[in-house]
Amino acid sequence: MKAFRSLVKPYLFWMAVFIVIPMLLIVLYAFTQQGNDVMTFTFTIDNFVKFFDPIFLKVLGKSLQIAFVTTLVSIILGYPVAYFVANTKEKTQTLLILLITIPMWINMLVRTYSWISILSDNGFLNAILKAMGLSPVSLMYTDFAVSLGMVYNFMPFMILSIYTVLAKMDKALIAASYDLGANRLQTFLRIVLPLSVPGIIAGITLVFLPAVSTFVIPKFLGGGNYMLIGNLIENQFITVGEWNFGSAISLIMAMVIMGSMLLTRRLDRNVEESDKGVNNGNGGVMYGRH
Amino acid sequence: MKKLLVLLMVLGLVLTGCSESEKETLKVYNWGEYIDETVITEFEEMYDVRVIYDLFESNEMMYTNLLGGESYDVIIPSDYMIERLIAEDRIQKLDFNKLPNYAGVMDNLKGLAFDPNEEYSAPYFWGNIGLVYNTETVSEEDLAAGWAILKNPTYKGRIYFYDSERDAFMVALKTLGFSANTTVASELEAAYNWLLDFDATMEPVYVTDDVIDNMIGGSKDIAVMYSGDATYVISENESLAYFVPEEGSNLWVDAMVIAKDAQNVDLAHKFIDFMLSKDVAYLNTAYVGYTSTVQEVFDEVTGAGGDYEGYDSYIPRTDNPLDEVFRYNENTKKILSDYWTLVKAQ
Amino acid sequence: MVGTKPAKWLPFFLIGSTLLFFYLPILIMIVFSFNGSRSLTNWAGFSTQWYTQLFNSRDMMAAVMTTVSIALISTLVSTFVGTITAIGLSKSNKVIKETVLMISNLPILNPEIVTAIGLMLLFSAFAIRRGFATMLLAHIAFSIPYVILTILPKLRTLDPNIAEAAMDLGATPWQALVKVIVPQITPGIVAGALIAFTMSFDDFVISYFVTGNGVKNISILVYTMSKRINPTINALSTILVVIITIALVLVNVLPMLRKKERIAIE
Repeated sequence: MKAFRSLVKPYLFWMAVFIVIPMLLIVLYAFTQQGNDVMTFTFTIDNFVKFFDPIFLKVLGKSLQIAFVTTLVSIILGYPVAYFVANTKEKTQTLLILLITIPMWINMLVRTYSWISILSDNGFLNAILKAMGLSPVSLMYTDFAVSLGMVYNFMPFMILSIYTVLAKMDKALIAASYDLGANRLQTFLRIVLPLSVPGIIAGITLVFLPAVSTFVIPKFLGGGNYMLIGNLIENQFITVGEWNFGSAISLIMAMVIMGSMLLTRRLDRNVEESDKGVNNGNGGVMYGRH
Repeated sequence: MKKLLVLLMVLGLVLTGCSESEKETLKVYNWGEYIDETVITEFEEMYDVRVIYDLFESNEMMYTNLLGGESYDVIIPSDYMIERLIAEDRIQKLDFNKLPNYAGVMDNLKGLAFDPNEEYSAPYFWGNIGLVYNTETVSEEDLAAGWAILKNPTYKGRIYFYDSERDAFMVALKTLGFSANTTVASELEAAYNWLLDFDATMEPVYVTDDVIDNMIGGSKDIAVMYSGDATYVISENESLAYFVPEEGSNLWVDAMVIAKDAQNVDLAHKFIDFMLSKDVAYLNTAYVGYTSTVQEVFDEVTGAGGDYEGYDSYIPRTDNPLDEVFRYNENTKKILSDYWTLVKAQ
Repeated sequence: MVGTKPAKWLPFFLIGSTLLFFYLPILIMIVFSFNGSRSLTNWAGFSTQWYTQLFNSRDMMAAVMTTVSIALISTLVSTFVGTITAIGLSKSNKVIKETVLMISNLPILNPEIVTAIGLMLLFSAFAIRRGFATMLLAHIAFSIPYVILTILPKLRTLDPNIAEAAMDLGATPWQALVKVIVPQITPGIVAGALIAFTMSFDDFVISYFVTGNGVKNISILVYTMSKRINPTINALSTILVVIITIALVLVNVLPMLRKKERIAIE
């Protein structure tokens, strides 16, 4: 058995280079200042101080706000869908889950791009409205457009997370609840909902995290001045060239996200249950992307 | 099983390596929507080479990428950026013996402030910045206000603004009566505040190349655009027109330069000369709409029966003393960059 | 049944409108990929011009080649490394296992953009020219953690004695690995490979930051082309949608067919 332990060694080396060092570099850049193209090791917290300008803090606030709204909408709309799908016949369930999954496998850029042509001022939606004799709406470049894009991209993850937990729920518990005299609503509130919380928590993880840090969706649907924290970081690295400031922002964002995740974990008393929620089956793990 | 794995890996590696090792490669870095792509193919076939053609959205993005380690042979930046690249020794002097077509470049574009001794650059396109407006919804009287029309409440939410640091500040500085190249801190701060206010009150949408199709489609009423794009959209949508405020605009020149660490200097020269040839320059200007720097081509398209006869956006004015060519200044670059980040982040 | 249905029409309405919401943009995109004009709103007759343009575009074909080759190679490498690492971890002591997993999970827990800039800083710091190789390395780097996480649970369910028994009977550790352990976790390996392939194929953020030398994958190409109205993007997207749909349907339908076969035989 001991022989197999050494199988880990190649990856240990890989991790050191491709996971540990990059993180260390981000921290290094965040705490240093660049001096005329040569990285001088003058430690400073100026990059962090720079971030505490009301404008930047507002960017962070807005990112959290939109991510929160997206997550909330995903839960409110997604939970009923997951619930009803879990209640259909097994064959229908497979079909419905397949239908919900297919769009998720399509490239996120393509999915977001498709909304541009719908929401544009002279796009598909307005063409339909005009044909119906209604006045056109200007939805592009608004909070609504960005939130819509996010919900569109991330809600499937929420639906699947909740569905997975609901589908595996022990039906005997429900039956027992009815036997003991509880009605539908009571059963739902007292038994089903609490037991499905791990799924909701997993879904929150899969929606909130990417929603806070995405930059493609705001860029496509919000316009060049719609800056969320992901856009700010991208802007600093790609256009402005302030890698130090960009790294500092990334660290701040990572801290904020980690804080939010810990907070959501606290909501779930049993941590092992939530681990199962994230890691269940084949597909559960892959959803933490984009 | 193992053999299959090995075979697939080898196949993969071969596929990636094979196409690159055959021909000479030229790496070109240019603005988006700035070339007729058929000329690239023509160049490739003429010299039996491969061209890697990369795009950037702004001079700043180009510069950051260059610093990040990317290397190119031919780059096509704007005036002030060329000045910066020369000052930082990132581009090399051109061998004009290899550029016979340079003689055909318009005289008024040679020896400008950013390359006074005509050593480093060969002009590619030139123009100015102005307002493209919808003649049906924007009144002439409002336009008389000049750049200040951008703060006219009538047009709130109906403005496209170009996502470009220098151009944004130029608009703000001009409307406040300052020079676009000012180094006075208080003037820059005033411009910054003007932009902040503009961003907060007028709800502009910041765009780059996406403004082209949007203005053709009539999404908004006013757009701050480059003269070349203006020519193109006006040719596609007749209700649009171009206006350059009297308080001044800029006069910009985008020119071809060769990077210091260019791999293929000789081929780079061939490319530049190719671009300056009459036929290629004509194809480019006809396709993109930007003003050609080659005298013969310019005369032809603006003359009787030419593609752009009667388009006032095609001929940048040269008689307004308030029009300036952007200059690079080491001290203001960081200030401007920080200000612009804040304006966009708002 | 988890509970009785509230109103008969509610489930249908809810699920139906959700599916409509998901598919409408995709359907519109598909329809307009066949548009005779460049518009994305005005129908000007059926035409396959955008597909012709797609296949004639050297840039687009190069991007497809890049995407596919990187996806294939990174899947192979990351599945292999992920599998052996997972096996090694399952036999390691708790401390090593938890430490390794903690570090390995960083790319999963971190927002994509953080992983992306980390890798970009890495390549820059070591003066590695960005291009195909760096994109490939980055893809392998973000895929392996997922492969490990997919396979590890499967390994927990294995009976450790079988492998040991094989070695007692004279098998070398390598033989025990390949002929005993691997066959038992094959579903996990396949799942891991599938995940790695999809992650790589669809990736944008990380690829965008670590690429160079004109190398683009499909996502980056769509990103750069999205500035102008380009129905060729619609054409490319339609082809992708069709391929994905066929693949997913096959993956889900074939097992059911095989089940029916087995039942029929019995």
